[in-house]
Amino acid sequence: MLLITLLSQISFRLTLILVLGTCLGFVLQKSRFCLVSALRDPILIGMTQLTRAFLLLLGISILGFALVSWGAAVKNIPVTLNVFPMGVHTVVGGLLFGIGMVLAGGCSTGIIIRVGEGFAMQMLAFFGLAVGAVLGERSSVNWRNTFGEWPGIFLPDIFGWIPTLILEIIVLLTLWQLARWWQKKQLGE
Amino acid sequence: MKKTLQTIIHGPWAYWIGAIILGLLNILVLIVRGQPWGVTLNIELWTEWIATNLGILSNRGITLTDLMAASGTYLNFGLLIGAFWATLAASQFRFRPIRDKKFFFSALIGGLLMGYGARIAYGCNVGALLNGIASSSLTGWIFAAAVFAGTWIGSKLLLKYLM
Repeated sequence: MLLITLLSQISFRLTLILVLGTCLGFVLQKSRFCLVSALRDPILIGMTQLTRAFLLLLGISILGFALVSWGAAVKNIPVTLNVFPMGVHTVVGGLLFGIGMVLAGGCSTGIIIRVGEGFAMQMLAFFGLAVGAVLGERSSVNWRNTFGEWPGIFLPDIFGWIPTLILEIIVLLTLWQLARWWQKKQLGE
Repeated sequence: MKKTLQTIIHGPWAYWIGAIILGLLNILVLIVRGQPWGVTLNIELWTEWIATNLGILSNRGITLTDLMAASGTYLNFGLLIGAFWATLAASQFRFRPIRDKKFFFSALIGGLLMGYGARIAYGCNVGALLNGIASSSLTGWIFAAAVFAGTWIGSKLLLKYLM
């Protein structure tokens, strides 16, 4: 509270960001939201409730981001979306990230949440994450030079906004059905 | 009414409620910040700064002033105090030591792999996966598929060596 008051004297925007970050942390902790569980539990125990909740989060975010970037374009406010260049490092990075988060028992966000809950294991994982991040950042240029890199593809540039959104929602709904079918198959009704 | 309040404070909330609130917060971050929510880049910058000051790494020109003005710092700090506050409010906070030595290594190695992977792919589960897909970027979908494949390999390792 004191911190928020202090910060609000300096920057309103950063104060708002801190409040949003705190809300995110609170909600993530209370709802036990965790991307490791969302992707791992279907494999380990056949549960897909969290997987489906994550698909819902993706759907809300896709539609929200589309609305925001449309609104920003109308009002001429600059908004940067995360359309990253892709290459071999996208796949290798994803694989390493996936393996790492299962071993560490949390993705980077999950680790921060569990540090906040008092887990020693994730404090150690956070240290590993910090060191790994520096190593990754510093070798990133080698990956680009060795394997090359292609500019990221912004799907609305190819299909237009409306078809992209329809396509993405269809993919999410298909994954949702797949997840439901998987849980039924693994655990019965 | 009292029961509802109890659930709000003690949790756990239903996953779909979490999904809806997180989705709205994620959109609000985009509006306020002008760019999507991300986690690891800021952690990397802080580590660079600390390591530079300890004399371990060569200076890449990251200053404390930059870090204190970076929105990522407040998002990450917020996550930590938000989670701490949430556990504290429900009086669930306690220090939880590592029970088994093998988890010591798995946490450290897992963390290293994750940090490395996230930075060569330009983002973690939040910046590259959730918000890559939310940004309607093909890279986000490819990264998601790779992370899922990695999770599968990780689960096999977990079953074989840790459980």
